[in-house]
Amino acid sequence: MTVVARTWDRLTLPGKALFILIPLLGVLTLGLVITIALFGQQILDILIFNLPIVRFVFSVTILMLIFVPMAFVIIYMEMKIIALMNLRIGPDRVGPWGTLLSTVHGLKVLMKEDFTPGKADAVVFTWAPVVVFSTAVLSALVLPFAPGLYGQDMNIGLLYFFAVGGMTVVGLLMGGWSSFNKYSLIGGLRSAAQIVSYEIPLTLSVVGLVILAGTMSLNEIVIQQSRTGWFTDWFMFRQPLGFLIFAIAATAEANRTPFDLTEADSEIVAGFATEYSGMRFGFFFFAEYINVFIISAITVVLFMGGWNAPFPSPHISWIVDPGSLGLWLVILIAIVPVVGTLALAAPFYLFRSKTRWWVALILGFVLFNVIAGGIFSLWAYINFDWVAGLFWFVGKAFALVFLFVWMRGTLPRVRIDQLMGFAWKWLLPAALLNLFVTAAAVLVIDAMKAAPK
Amino acid sequence: MRAWLYLIAAAVAGAIVTTPALIVLILLGGSFDDALVAGLATLMIAAGIAVVSMRDIIRCGLAMIVCFLSLAGLYVSLGAPMVAAAQVIVYIGAISVLILFAIMLTQEKVGSARLTFQTQAAPAAIAAIVIAVLVSVAAFGTSWGEVSEHIRSATVYVAHALFQNYVLVLEAVGVLLLAAVIGGVFLAKREKGA
Repeated sequence: MTVVARTWDRLTLPGKALFILIPLLGVLTLGLVITIALFGQQILDILIFNLPIVRFVFSVTILMLIFVPMAFVIIYMEMKIIALMNLRIGPDRVGPWGTLLSTVHGLKVLMKEDFTPGKADAVVFTWAPVVVFSTAVLSALVLPFAPGLYGQDMNIGLLYFFAVGGMTVVGLLMGGWSSFNKYSLIGGLRSAAQIVSYEIPLTLSVVGLVILAGTMSLNEIVIQQSRTGWFTDWFMFRQPLGFLIFAIAATAEANRTPFDLTEADSEIVAGFATEYSGMRFGFFFFAEYINVFIISAITVVLFMGGWNAPFPSPHISWIVDPGSLGLWLVILIAIVPVVGTLALAAPFYLFRSKTRWWVALILGFVLFNVIAGGIFSLWAYINFDWVAGLFWFVGKAFALVFLFVWMRGTLPRVRIDQLMGFAWKWLLPAALLNLFVTAAAVLVIDAMKAAPK
Repeated sequence: MRAWLYLIAAAVAGAIVTTPALIVLILLGGSFDDALVAGLATLMIAAGIAVVSMRDIIRCGLAMIVCFLSLAGLYVSLGAPMVAAAQVIVYIGAISVLILFAIMLTQEKVGSARLTFQTQAAPAAIAAIVIAVLVSVAAFGTSWGEVSEHIRSATVYVAHALFQNYVLVLEAVGVLLLAAVIGGVFLAKREKGA
């Protein structure tokens, strides 16, 4: 046995993988750099020529990258808020106030054994989480986050959202069936029945809104809600019944409490995800929390004004343009942090004799950063439309996420027959009523406008 | 060992699906749209063959979903996103899910989740040939350059066509569907009572 072979044998499996992967990555990077250096212009031409497809791929990638940390934040929110509601402390070990716990959860899920049950259908079993996760990411493609900040602006955006969002159920059915487990199968069947039933009131409740807005493009719908700039323009107030039906049906679509019958742990262990472990379970878990954000976001877009602020923004023009300062800008950048840190550190050092000078300096530095960050954010908010839009959109969406967490902390789970009966006997007639009343109102108003006076 | 077999099978399938797309991409000068159409068409045909040739009925249903999905992708790349969305909502979100649901509810995983489809090969072949002839007659009988100028895929035009020109047909279809629903309920109820 040669030295090389002996060294190779001593490596652990991850070590072997890394030993192969890292040089491979280096070679690939080198190849990429050389290709770009040689054929950069041609590649750019081809990419620009195929802009729609490139844009699609790019925005899906960006969404996927954004959604993993967002799922972390929502998982942490859920753990902490429910803990506070239960008078527990909740996560408090990893990071300040336990904020890094969901990251650790993610790493833990990555390191767990990825187990496939013996008689499971391995191919379908593997693809199920992929389908669930990718439908969640793809359905977010049409969400307008801020003015000019969206994946794709389709004139059938709403239809696309429902089409792709409805495909989640295929993934859940696949996972439930392929696990070779009665609980999984029941969970999968329940999810299919539930999502197919609730999709009907969900879609019908929005038709009234589409009649009012006259478009299915989500961008246009948001713009329609900004006529006067006040929050009274939001469709929430013109379609209250539709808003209520939509909120309830969307909760059921995302399998959230009180409608989380598909993973009711007191009845069927964990539903479709019973046999899943490791990262395949992780994808189901992520998809669930991404879906919470997505239904909050779509509710905000449709009924709560999207990226519009609830009040008209005052026009402020006294902000100094940094470009006009010239050389002074450089001097400011050099001096202000030092002076600010010292000025903020001075009170701590001078008026509390116990404080050491370096503690005071650290405190001053942190305080200065907080203040400077606040001023910078304010400047960005006033000067850039999309910053303001993003602020309001994410704020409203996370307020709704909080509402969903609150519901999970408060409400008991319904029974399966109550769930189905509620969808077909109450929500569907209510949605139809909403549609007919809206259509009649639009007709009457049009007739009154057209009538000669 | 099994995992390696799956990996190799996946790699072969991926190569089969992407090869026509790559060929088109190279031959037609770097237009991703053409490559997309070629890839989706290959995927659709492969999934269609899988639907009729596989023995596990659930996998057949899933392959059918892949087939419908690539058809929707074809619609999108041909500039008809509205049709594609309807395809996904109706055929995948409702019909395929219903089929899968019914199969899972009635079939036992342990027992025979397998059905034999190939008992009607001769009628199926005749039907396939007739459909192929009909489609090719329609495809070659239309002057596509002229037609493509009149295409309006925006929802407003679709709504105008549905609710003005073809409103009678639409209502007739609605009555037909209602009759089918009532018939289904009647059959289910009678079986329960008897």
